[in-house]
Amino acid sequence: MTRTASFAALLAASMIATPIALAADLTVNVDSIAKTQGTIVLGLFDEGTYSGDGAVDGANLKVEGNTVSVTFEGLEPGEYAVKLYHDVNDDGEMNTNPFGMPTEPFAFSNDAKGRFGPAKWDAAKFSVGADGTVHTITLN
Amino acid sequence: MNLSRRHFMEAGLGAGIAGAVGTSFGLSAMADPNTMPAWHLGYQNAPASGFEPSPMKLVFGKAPADLKGSLYRNGPAQLSYGDQYASHWFDGDGLIHRIAIEDGQAVHQARFVETRKRREEQAAQAFLAPGFGTLGDESYSVQGPDDTNAANTSVLVVNGELLALWEAGSAFSMDAETLETKGPKTWRDDLKGMPFLAHPKVEPDGRVWNLAVGGSRVGIYRIGANGALEDFGMVDIGRAAYIHDWTMSERHLIILVQPWVNENLRPPVVAGFEWQPQHGLQMLIVNKDDFSNQRWVQAPPRMFYHTGSAWEESDGTIKFDAAFYKEPVLGVDGGTAEIRGEWTGEYATEEGVLTLVEIPPQGDAKLTETALIGEFPQVDPRYRGKHRNLVALASGASANRPGSTALAVHNWTSGESQSFMFGDNRMVEEFLFVPKAGGQSDLDSWLVGPVLNIKAGVREICVFDAANVSDGPVCIWQADYAWPLGFHGTWA
Repeated sequence: MTRTASFAALLAASMIATPIALAADLTVNVDSIAKTQGTIVLGLFDEGTYSGDGAVDGANLKVEGNTVSVTFEGLEPGEYAVKLYHDVNDDGEMNTNPFGMPTEPFAFSNDAKGRFGPAKWDAAKFSVGADGTVHTITLN
Repeated sequence: MNLSRRHFMEAGLGAGIAGAVGTSFGLSAMADPNTMPAWHLGYQNAPASGFEPSPMKLVFGKAPADLKGSLYRNGPAQLSYGDQYASHWFDGDGLIHRIAIEDGQAVHQARFVETRKRREEQAAQAFLAPGFGTLGDESYSVQGPDDTNAANTSVLVVNGELLALWEAGSAFSMDAETLETKGPKTWRDDLKGMPFLAHPKVEPDGRVWNLAVGGSRVGIYRIGANGALEDFGMVDIGRAAYIHDWTMSERHLIILVQPWVNENLRPPVVAGFEWQPQHGLQMLIVNKDDFSNQRWVQAPPRMFYHTGSAWEESDGTIKFDAAFYKEPVLGVDGGTAEIRGEWTGEYATEEGVLTLVEIPPQGDAKLTETALIGEFPQVDPRYRGKHRNLVALASGASANRPGSTALAVHNWTSGESQSFMFGDNRMVEEFLFVPKAGGQSDLDSWLVGPVLNIKAGVREICVFDAANVSDGPVCIWQADYAWPLGFHGTWA
């Protein structure tokens, strides 16, 4: 009885909460882009996808000034992180030197930086609340 | 060895020394003279702002009228923050010196290379970056080799551009007049952040060859005398050997793969090295016109930091000189004790032996050791890659303190060596050949280099006649302050 009541209450709550939760918007601004050319290739990750191949969402943003911006709509509130690079020559790849070091600018959310590797999830994660979030990354 | 000359030197400089004692204000962190030995002057910090241009005083002899140019030098000059000492001599921030010589006058100036490591450590007044012998602070981010670049090992001037060199990251472009830092040098967009070794080889016509070392993979730069990258290629040397220097003849690049190997290049880098003498010293000979045209040559196990230069005989035999060690030295503990003012004398007997390497057209290399012990071998820039007579070294290790006490020159043609003993009061560094005006061979050269006068607490720049080194200096300029020991220089 108690269990059923609980379930019903939960279901009711989720039916009410769901439209609000899905309305969470995240705007990501990227500042200080050095070269006005190419594309900012940006990936949005949650903890489960951060170290893997997939992403929660992503965007390719044409660079026409020293900033770009994108809004992801209808996200579930929670913790996210962004990885991005500036595909300066628009060849669709993050270029590296012969020893594998990136030769195109890259950044992580929170302007987090790695130590002999990409920035760690704990350093790059930020919260997206139900009422929306604006997050700014400085590229250079 | 020439004791009478040494005594003469010290008597002759008496007046200059008397005038200089007590005015030694150059070093910002003067150690307590009650606890630090006099030689520790070589390991103290330079002032954070460097040294403004300041004339040196001619205290001995007559300056050669034809000696005109700049001696640029580099070396670690930030080896402590308060009571925190650097973990390795190779990890101190690079201080770039310029001693401009003209009309018998010498003017010294110096500036630190403004790397990210320098900026952040100066702000924190603490060592933060990982390095060759330093683990580093966990909070210090590293997204590429230039985040740990100390820019402290050597200098190169190509087409008028001054570059501060390290070995594991980019060269740093500097203003050749003011020594102001411009930033990391990118030779080509796709080579951004590639290492640029601190021992580029410059052909007599100004073309520069250098290596980028990353484990067992080695990149080769060919740079024109106009400063533009002409070619870049990759070769594989089979194992991640420590490569600080290499050598070059007119037709070949000779990459020495010493059996000191590190397969895990993580800080502190030096802790990952293993001595594997079973491999011997192997050499990869690469044709300058075709990097895929290669040959391997075997030699007995040796460790080394520096070569002189190579040449080729008419039958194709390649010969070069180098300072060879029987096993790894210095890099292992990195002068940690010396930085702290401690000296056990343990390394006084572990010195480089000037060795001639002969690589026949076929078969193994042959090593011939001379009786000369020393480091920082240098040759006349007109004869790099070509047959020549002389090689100069800092020599004369002391049982009483670190560093060299003498300048030595060996003549491969005559088989004779000459040296000049400065004595225990002077620490001798690398001397460079500067061609005399109108000279016909490398015997017609000046040798120009710095010594640290630890008795007077001041720096001196000395000039020798390369053919008559045992006659003593031709002239000496003295600063009224000191600066710490450095590594390598160039004349431009």
